[in-house]
Amino acid sequence: MKEQKNSETDEFEPKGTMVILLIFVLTLILLWGSVYLILLSRGVTV
Amino acid sequence: MLANYEVSQAEKKFIGWHLLFAVIAVAIGSLFGPLQALEHAGLDLYPYLQPLFASYYQGLTLHGVLNALVFTTFFITGFLTLTTIYGLKRPLRYPKLNAVGFWMMVVGLVVTAIPTLLDQASVLYTFYPPMKAHWSFYLGLTLVVVGSWIEGWGFYFTYYAWRKENPGVRTPLTTFGGLITMVMWQFATLGVATEILTMLLPWSLGLIEGTDPQLARTYFWFTGHPLVYFWLLPAYVSWYGMLPKQAGGKLFSDSLARFAFWLFLLLSVPLGFHHQYVDPGVPAGWKFLHAVLTYSVFLPSMLTAFTVIASLEYAGRKRGGKGLLGWIRALPWADPVVSAQLLAGILFFFGGIGGITNASYNVNLVVHNTAWVPGHFHLTVASAVTLSFMGISYWLVPYLTGKKLGVSNKVANIQVWTWFVGMVIFSNAMHVVGLLGAPRRTPLGLAPYIPEEWSGHLLRVGIGGTIMFVGMYMYVYIVAKTAWAKNYEPVEIEVPLADSIHDPQETPDWLDKWVPWLIGTVALLLIAYGPQLFDQISNIALNAPGGKVW
Repeated sequence: MKEQKNSETDEFEPKGTMVILLIFVLTLILLWGSVYLILLSRGVTV
Repeated sequence: MLANYEVSQAEKKFIGWHLLFAVIAVAIGSLFGPLQALEHAGLDLYPYLQPLFASYYQGLTLHGVLNALVFTTFFITGFLTLTTIYGLKRPLRYPKLNAVGFWMMVVGLVVTAIPTLLDQASVLYTFYPPMKAHWSFYLGLTLVVVGSWIEGWGFYFTYYAWRKENPGVRTPLTTFGGLITMVMWQFATLGVATEILTMLLPWSLGLIEGTDPQLARTYFWFTGHPLVYFWLLPAYVSWYGMLPKQAGGKLFSDSLARFAFWLFLLLSVPLGFHHQYVDPGVPAGWKFLHAVLTYSVFLPSMLTAFTVIASLEYAGRKRGGKGLLGWIRALPWADPVVSAQLLAGILFFFGGIGGITNASYNVNLVVHNTAWVPGHFHLTVASAVTLSFMGISYWLVPYLTGKKLGVSNKVANIQVWTWFVGMVIFSNAMHVVGLLGAPRRTPLGLAPYIPEEWSGHLLRVGIGGTIMFVGMYMYVYIVAKTAWAKNYEPVEIEVPLADSIHDPQETPDWLDKWVPWLIGTVALLLIAYGPQLFDQISNIALNAPGGKVW
C-alpha cells in the first residue's frame, strides 16, 4: 500500500458515514427498545 | 521484497481445491434450506424423500454442518492462503504442511458426512449431548478443525520467514487480518476440541458411560460464538483490504483497521456465556461479565462500520457522488463483486442490531430458543459472510482459473439481488415469528399449537427460503460454469489490494506487535473463563447416558 497524499484526501471528511452511523444507532435503539417493551409487556418477575 | 508476486499455477490449484470443496458443501447443504422453510410454511416434503433422508432433523443437521462449518472453513482457509502469500509476496514456507492440513480437512469432511447422511448423527450443528451421534461424526469434525489448525500453522511459518526478511516493515493488511483470524480460531477451538476429545468421542466409543451436558455446553460455546468471528473476519479482510479498491477508492484508515482486528482477537472468545443465559449451571455473575464483554465487541464492530463506510464514501465521492448520501448511488453497483459486499453490509446492519438484543441479559429471555435466533444468524453467516464470499468468488474464481466469469455482470448481479431479497423476506419473518414465540429447531408444520397469527409469517419463511435456494443455485451454476468452461475468454485478474489514504508505514508500531496482544488475549480468557471452567471441571458429573432421539 503506497502513500497517496493530496489535498483531496487531506480534506476528506466522511460526513455521510457519520449520518449512516447515526441512523444505525437510532434504529438500534428503536428496535432494541421494542423488544424490551415486549419483555415488559409479558410481566415482570422479582 | 519483490515488487510483485506471481502466484504459481500450483498455488492457484491448491487454493482452488479449497473452493471446490466449499462450493460442493454449500450446494449440498443448501438443498435442505427450502425443505425446512417450506415445512414451516406447511409444505412438508420430507416424507417424499424417504428413505434417502429420514427426517427434518437430519436435513437440519446437514444444512448446519455443511453450510456453517464445512463451506465456511474450506472457503476461509483457501482465501486466507491467497491473502498470506500474495500479501507477503512469497510462497508458503512449508507448502506440504498446508497440503497435509487441507487433506486432513477433506478426510474429516468425508468421515463426518457418512454418519450424517446415514442418519446416525442427526444432532444438529451444535451437537449438544445427551444427544449422541456415531463416533465418526465427532472424529470427522475433529479432523476438520485440526486440519484448519495445521493450515494456520503453515501461515505462521510463512509469516515468520517473511518477518525475518522484512524487519520493521508493516505486515500487509490483508495478511495481517488473515493471521489474526487463524490465531483467534485456534484459541476458540480449544473449547470444542476439549469437549470432543475428553467427553464426546470416548463416550460415543463406549469408553465412558456418560457425559456432562452442562460442561459440554460451556466447552461448545467457548468455541461457538467466536466461530461467528472466524466467519466474519475473512469478510472483513475483504471489506477493509479489497472492497475500497473495487469500489474505486482507498482504505480510509489503516490504523483503525488494525486496531479493530486486534480488538476482535482480544474480545471474540471470552463471551460464550451469553449463549447460556438460561443454563442453570452458570452463576449469574459470570453471565453478567460475559454480557459486558459481549457488548464490548460493539467497539471494534463500530470501528469496522465507520472505516469501511468512510472508505466507500471516499470512493463514491471520487466517482462524482454529491451530497450527504448521494455518493452511495455513485458506487459501482453494476459490478457483482461490489454489490454483493454492499448488500452483505446492509443485511449485517440489522444482524448487528439483533446481536445486541441477543446479548442483553434480560431482553434475551424474549428471543431465547425462538425462531428469532436462526433469523439472526442468517443475517450474519448467510448474509454478511456468505454474500461477501459470493462476491469474492466472482473475482477469485476468474483469477484462479484465468477464465472470464461464465456469465455477464448483469446475470451475476441478479444472483446477488435474488439472495438479498430472499434473505430480507426470510430473516424478517423469522425474527417476527420468533418474537411471537415460535420455537427454533422445531418442525412447526407438525406442531398442533400454531396460532393463526404465525401463519402469514411462516408462509414468508417458506417464500424467502425458496428464493434464497434459487439464489444459491445461481451462484453454484456461475462458479461451476466459470471453472469448467471449455470455450472461454482468458483474463488476467489482479488481486484487488486496496491502497490506504495514509501510508501503512505511518501506522503506529504497537499495532504490528503480536506479543502484548497475545498476552492480553490469554489473560482475558483466563479471567473470563478460568474460575468457571475450574469449578465445572472440578464438579464434573458424567452421568448423562445419552441416546438417539431422532
